[in-house]
Amino acid sequence: MLASLALRNLGRNRRRTLLTLCATVVSCSLLILALGIFSGMLADILDSTTGQYHGHLVVSSPQYPERRSLYDSFEEDLKTQEALLRHPGITGLSPRLRAFGLLSFTRAALPVELLGIRPQREASVTRLGQQLVRGSRLDSAGGAQPEVLIGEGLASRLGATVGDELAFMTQAADGSIGNDLLRIRGIFSTGDRNRDNQLALVPLDWLRELLVLPDALHELALRVDDPMEAPAIRQRLEGQLADADTSLAILDWGQLLPTMREAIANFDVSRMILIIILYSATGLGILNTFFMSVIERTREIGILLAMGMTPARVRRMILLEALFLGLISLVLGTLIGIALTAWMHQVGIDLSDWITPVTYAGGTIAPRLHATFETANILMPALILLGVCLLAGYFPARRASKLQPALAIREDA
Amino acid sequence: MISSVQLLPLFFLLLSTPAWALDLAELVRSVETQYSGESSYSRVRMEIRTEHWQRSLEMEGWSLGRDYFLTRILAPDKDRGVSTLKAQQDVWNYLPKVDRVMKIPASMMGGSWMGSHITNDDLVKGSRVDLDYELRLLEESKKHYLIECLPRPEAVVVWGKVLYRIKKPDLLPESISYFDEEMTEVRRILFDDVQPVGARMIPMRLTVLPLEKPQEQTIMRYEKIDYGAELTRDFFSLRTLQKRP
Repeated sequence: MLASLALRNLGRNRRRTLLTLCATVVSCSLLILALGIFSGMLADILDSTTGQYHGHLVVSSPQYPERRSLYDSFEEDLKTQEALLRHPGITGLSPRLRAFGLLSFTRAALPVELLGIRPQREASVTRLGQQLVRGSRLDSAGGAQPEVLIGEGLASRLGATVGDELAFMTQAADGSIGNDLLRIRGIFSTGDRNRDNQLALVPLDWLRELLVLPDALHELALRVDDPMEAPAIRQRLEGQLADADTSLAILDWGQLLPTMREAIANFDVSRMILIIILYSATGLGILNTFFMSVIERTREIGILLAMGMTPARVRRMILLEALFLGLISLVLGTLIGIALTAWMHQVGIDLSDWITPVTYAGGTIAPRLHATFETANILMPALILLGVCLLAGYFPARRASKLQPALAIREDA
Repeated sequence: MISSVQLLPLFFLLLSTPAWALDLAELVRSVETQYSGESSYSRVRMEIRTEHWQRSLEMEGWSLGRDYFLTRILAPDKDRGVSTLKAQQDVWNYLPKVDRVMKIPASMMGGSWMGSHITNDDLVKGSRVDLDYELRLLEESKKHYLIECLPRPEAVVVWGKVLYRIKKPDLLPESISYFDEEMTEVRRILFDDVQPVGARMIPMRLTVLPLEKPQEQTIMRYEKIDYGAELTRDFFSLRTLQKRP
C-alpha cells in the first residue's frame, strides 16, 4: 500500500520527477564513464612501462636491480624457466642480458643501454622492438652480421638510419675492450623519451660473446595475466625460488616502479573524491526536490496524519519515494554508464593531434581517451547514488512526519 | 695608451701570493709532467687488478707538453692496436677491430680508461692541477713537503682536494691523495722505483689505489722513457690515431 502510494506520488509531478531523474542518471553514468577513463589512463601508464620495458615481474640476482653491475649475472637454466612458465598466471618469459657502453655512428659517441634479447621470447612479455617507425624487427636466427634496433631519439642524435653500421664499445667481463659493428635493422618509438634516447636491442647470443659472458643472464622478465595479481604471484614464486636454492630474487612492478604503485594506489582515494564532489551537487538537487514536494503537499500530509496515518509511516512513505527514485536512477545510470564505457573502450578518442605523450610516475600517458572496466568503478557510483538519494529523502521525510495535522491542514499551499 | 691586455700580467702579479707559491706550482707541474717532459716516447706495462679480473697491458705512448698524448696497446693480442688520443680537452679512442674512432662524450669522461683505475678525466684534468687548484704548503718536515690543492671557485674539477707528498732532497713525488667533496680520501697514487732517465731521476712505478675497493689496483710500470723524441703537433692527429702498429 505504502509503496504504491509512493510510486503514485512520484508520478504526480512528472516533470519534476523526470528532471530529478535526469540529474541523477546523468551524474551516475558520467561518473562511471569518467572513472572508466581514469582507470584506462592508469592501465595505459602501467602498460607503457611494464609492457614496453620491465615486464610485470623480474627475476635477477638480489644486487642486480640496484647496482646493475655486469658481474651480477646468473647462468641460464632452462628448467627454472620452464617451471616459471608453468606457474599459473604467468603468460610470458624473456631472458635478458644488459650492457652499458658507447655507441657511435660517425665520430660522436653516445652512452647507451644495450639489451640482449631473444626477439620471440621478448615478444611474449613486452612490445619492445615491435613498435617500429622504420625498418623491420630483429631476426631471431641472426644473419652473418649482428643487427640492432635503436630508439628513435638515439637514431636522430647519432644521425643514423636503417642500414647504417654502428660501432659499440664497452668493458667486457674479462676486462678486455669489447667492440663490434652492428647494422641498424629497425628504429623503434615507445613514446618514452628517455628510453627512445638511449636504448638499443641486440640479439642475446651476440651480446654474450661480446661481453665474454657465455650462458649468462642478468634477468628474466615475466608477464602475468592480471598486473594487479603480480605481488601475490611474486610471493608464491619467492617460496619456489628459495626451495630451488637459486639465490635469485624476484621483484614485482610495484617494487621496480614505486611511484607508479603509489599513483595507482592513490586511485582509490581520487575515485572517492570524484564521487563525493559530483554526488554532493546531485544530492543537494534531490534534497531540494523532496523538500519542495513535501512543502507542496503539506495540506495533504496533514490530512493523512489527521486520518490516522502514523508519523512513522509518513516518513517511510517519503523515504520510499526517495528509494524508488534512487533505484530507477541506479538502473538507468548504470546501464548508460556501462554503454558509454563500452563505447570508450572499443572506440576511444584519439588526442594525438593535440597532445604529445606525457611522462608521469615513470610511465607514459598515451594521448588518447580510452576506458577500461573495473567492477569498483561501476559498483561504487551505483551504491553511493542510492545512499545519497536516501539521505536526501531523509530530512524532508522527517519534517513531514513532525507536522502538526491541525496546522498543516489549515495551511493553504 | 695602455690596453687591458698589457695590464693583465701586472694584474696577476698583484694577485699572486708570496714568492714560494710560484715554486709550489712549479713543483706540482713537474710531478704532473714528469713522464711527458717537453716531448717523449715511452713504453709502459699496465697491470690492472679488479674484483673480477686481472690483466696486464703493454702500451707505447707519445706526448707533447701537457696537452697532447697518444697511446697504443701492443699486447695482449685481443686489444692490440686500441689507441687513445688526448688533444687539449678531448679524448678519442680508436678501435682497430671495427676500424672506428670514438670521441668520448662529456658524460663519460668520469669512466674508466682501458679498464684501469685511471679515468678519462685524469688524462685531461690531471695535468691541469696547478691551474685549476689553489696551492698551499700544508706541512714541511725534514723529509717532505705536503702540498694541499683546493679547487679554485671558478674551475670545473673532479676532486674536492688533492694532496701532494713530495720527498725533500730530490723533490720527487712520493704519493698523491685525492679527496671527494666530503673530504674523504678516495684514491691514492704511490710512486716508487726511482731510476735515472737521461739527466733526471724518475719514479718508474706508479700504483693507483682506489681506496673504496681495497682489493683493486692499477700499476703502471715505465719500461722506457725517451725524452728526446722529436714530435710536432701534427703527429697528434686522428690520422696517426688510426695507424695500426
